[in-house]
Amino acid sequence: MLNRFQAKHPFIRRIQTIFICLAGLSVTGLVVRPIEAPVWQTVKSGQPELNLGELEGAVGQGVLIGVLGGFRAIFADLLWIQTNHYWQQKDQPKTETMIQLVTQLDPRPDFFWINGARMTAYDIPNWRIRALGGYQTVPKSVQNEIDYEQAMRGIELIQRAREFHPKNPRMVLEIAQIYNNRLKDTENAAKWFGKAAAMEGAPHFAARIHAELLRRLDRTEEAYQYLKAHHADLPDPESIAAQIALERIRDMEDELRVPALRRYLPTRTYRTLEFF
Amino acid sequence: MSTPPAISIKGLTKDFSIGMKGTKLRAVEDLNLEIADNQIYGLLGPNGSGKSTTIKIILGLLAPSVGACEIYGQPSGSVRSRHSVGFLPEAPYFYRYLSGTELVRFYARVCGVPKAEQAERVSEVIELVGMTEAAHRRVGTYSKGMLQRIGLAQALVHDPQLVILDEPTAGVDPLGSAAIADIIRTLKKRGKTVLLSSHLLAQIEGLCDRVAILHRGKLIREGTIAELTSEANAESLVVDALTPAARTAVEAALKTHGVRLRRTETPRLSLDQLFLKEVSSREAEHNPSTKNTASQDPGKESDS
Amino acid sequence: MQTIAANTFLEAVRQRFFNTVLTIAVALVLGAGFFQQFNFGASELKFVTDFGFGAIFFFGAILAITAMTQLFFSEIENRTALTLLAKPVYRLEFLVGKFLGAHCLIGVFCLLISTVLWGVLYWREGALMASFPDSFPDGRTLAYGEVFLFGFVQWLKFGIIAAIALFIASFSNTNLYTVVVSFFVLVICQLQYIARDAYADIANPMLAALVWFLSLLFPNFQIFNLGDRMVVPGSEPALTAATYGGILCFSLIYTVLFLLLALVNFRRKEI
Repeated sequence: MLNRFQAKHPFIRRIQTIFICLAGLSVTGLVVRPIEAPVWQTVKSGQPELNLGELEGAVGQGVLIGVLGGFRAIFADLLWIQTNHYWQQKDQPKTETMIQLVTQLDPRPDFFWINGARMTAYDIPNWRIRALGGYQTVPKSVQNEIDYEQAMRGIELIQRAREFHPKNPRMVLEIAQIYNNRLKDTENAAKWFGKAAAMEGAPHFAARIHAELLRRLDRTEEAYQYLKAHHADLPDPESIAAQIALERIRDMEDELRVPALRRYLPTRTYRTLEFF
Repeated sequence: MSTPPAISIKGLTKDFSIGMKGTKLRAVEDLNLEIADNQIYGLLGPNGSGKSTTIKIILGLLAPSVGACEIYGQPSGSVRSRHSVGFLPEAPYFYRYLSGTELVRFYARVCGVPKAEQAERVSEVIELVGMTEAAHRRVGTYSKGMLQRIGLAQALVHDPQLVILDEPTAGVDPLGSAAIADIIRTLKKRGKTVLLSSHLLAQIEGLCDRVAILHRGKLIREGTIAELTSEANAESLVVDALTPAARTAVEAALKTHGVRLRRTETPRLSLDQLFLKEVSSREAEHNPSTKNTASQDPGKESDS
Repeated sequence: MQTIAANTFLEAVRQRFFNTVLTIAVALVLGAGFFQQFNFGASELKFVTDFGFGAIFFFGAILAITAMTQLFFSEIENRTALTLLAKPVYRLEFLVGKFLGAHCLIGVFCLLISTVLWGVLYWREGALMASFPDSFPDGRTLAYGEVFLFGFVQWLKFGIIAAIALFIASFSNTNLYTVVVSFFVLVICQLQYIARDAYADIANPMLAALVWFLSLLFPNFQIFNLGDRMVVPGSEPALTAATYGGILCFSLIYTVLFLLLALVNFRRKEI
């Protein structure tokens, strides 16, 4: 008597098993999609897109698979440690290459960009000038050229960062500071501090520096109007930021010789006067 | 209603497919066996004869290609049938990090022995297999003989009606083998059925009620030991110191009954028996308190 | 089943491999606490968090695959499965027992690493608060409970990974094959989102259907990539309970599915 254990051909059995597995996986995929989709949308909204083509050229296939396999945060962190090692050794080519690699690998942390830009714009010019013989030997024109070149590279890095962090005022501030501190380009520095100050979450000093730079550009009236508007927008007129801004306004009023009755009155003062 | 047989195998064939082409290797062919309750049954055969495959099918570890196998009326593939089966595999390997007691307790839990009875059952079977003194030691430090005995304990812990032992004395010294044989006899006395697969024919002969001999997956002989080993139309007399004159007289006496004396020979002990006798007597002299020397195994380091 | 799971867990914690992975992971996370020499300021906390989360994912994934595979094959190769399955034990019980034992082990790993990360973050934030009080006007900024929440979410993912490894082990014959294929599947699951999001943009309907079908076959592991939205306050809104609930359901469904698929193969496996 043949029973139910009658053996099937192993090939048929294998096909049957594969079919069961595929059916199980695809049906589950369909059933799970309504649960997965909203979660994925939430997670996706917080993640920058990866530039795969660019990355593949910059790193090996193994690392790329690792990146795509979800290990990019830890790979980038490890490479960042390596970057700092090269930075300590004042090794310009390796430091710059690693900054590019780390920021391509994981563009999400803003400190990779900011610290990378600072290394590029502030530290590397010193290394290059020292390598050429030092500040006493290298002509001033060459020093300026190197400073300009490195500063522009730093700015370029931050410009790329802005694609990933469009709402982050720290990026814009970093550009402003490079123009101001490194290139002594007051015009551009004022422009970028102004842009930063207009962004949500920007520190108050951005607006004050913007006004100060306008003043240095002999646009004191513009600076005065800007600072008044800025002060009026501050939520707490008693805050230190508001007090400093008011002091600067008073300085400018003195400078512009604004008559006493036309001087800026903070909102609270108006109310106090109305009361009387 | 009569008790169903411990094991009933009908028309059992097992083919193994090799590769994707499905080339078949036949391990067991049209096997029919019925093992009654409360027997010690020997399964004999050279390597590759299908003994292990048959045992695995009985245990539900393999599905037959054709045919049926039942244990006390339950299909062997069902988990329920295994409540009444205890199994000691050949050269058992157990979790080395557990002590003997922990190991047996683990299998008691797996078999669903009620919690209240576990401690009692565990110590009972450990005592039965003579492992009480070594029960606290890690299994990794056990010798082969001790492994076999703790293996027997785990097979018996849920008090199964059928015990299947695959080469229970493989790699065990004669003292250990004799101890295991003693345990098997005890099991029979307790009403259990034992299916035994072994290469040691002398041991099978001394233990089993019935044996089956397999060759290339086929059953070639089956019956009681007496049925299989008795010489046809022959009887033997054992006497003390037969002299030539006495032999002539016996021959003459037999002749008057029309019977011819075929041969005379000196009865011998088997080597197993001689070894056991000599060693056991010396052990008894050396340590008079030891009742059963065979059940005491020196604590060798692990050889697994 | 619990007995098999408990024994599997006991076997696993005694393995040198587990202790090695755990030690390396703990050392890495502790080491992340000493990165302050790079003068990150408050950003250091984000770096340490990323590093710790990366260590949980990296070593957890290794542990989930190798521990599950090793624990399964040790039973088969040492023939303890023969003794166990000769008892009144269903094959599903055996598989689930092995899985639960491995998953408990991974749970211990996640809990330990999360605790170490929590400690490192607490210590570093305290030190930074002392050095840069202006950056912490409202006291501590990190959501510390979310360190453990992240550990839990990763543990759910490792459950799916372990179930996948068990599924592959159920039809494979060797330990190495199972480990290698499991890692490939892990990478595919991490990449699944590309296929999942791409099919709508493919013009060729046949190719679009194929990509869509492929995206159904593998779970999307990117949904567990929550590290950027946790612990360190950022511009993105905090994750809601619905998101966590969705991840929990997703994980349970896929874990059960892969265990059942493992059974499809294992029930016919000759021990």
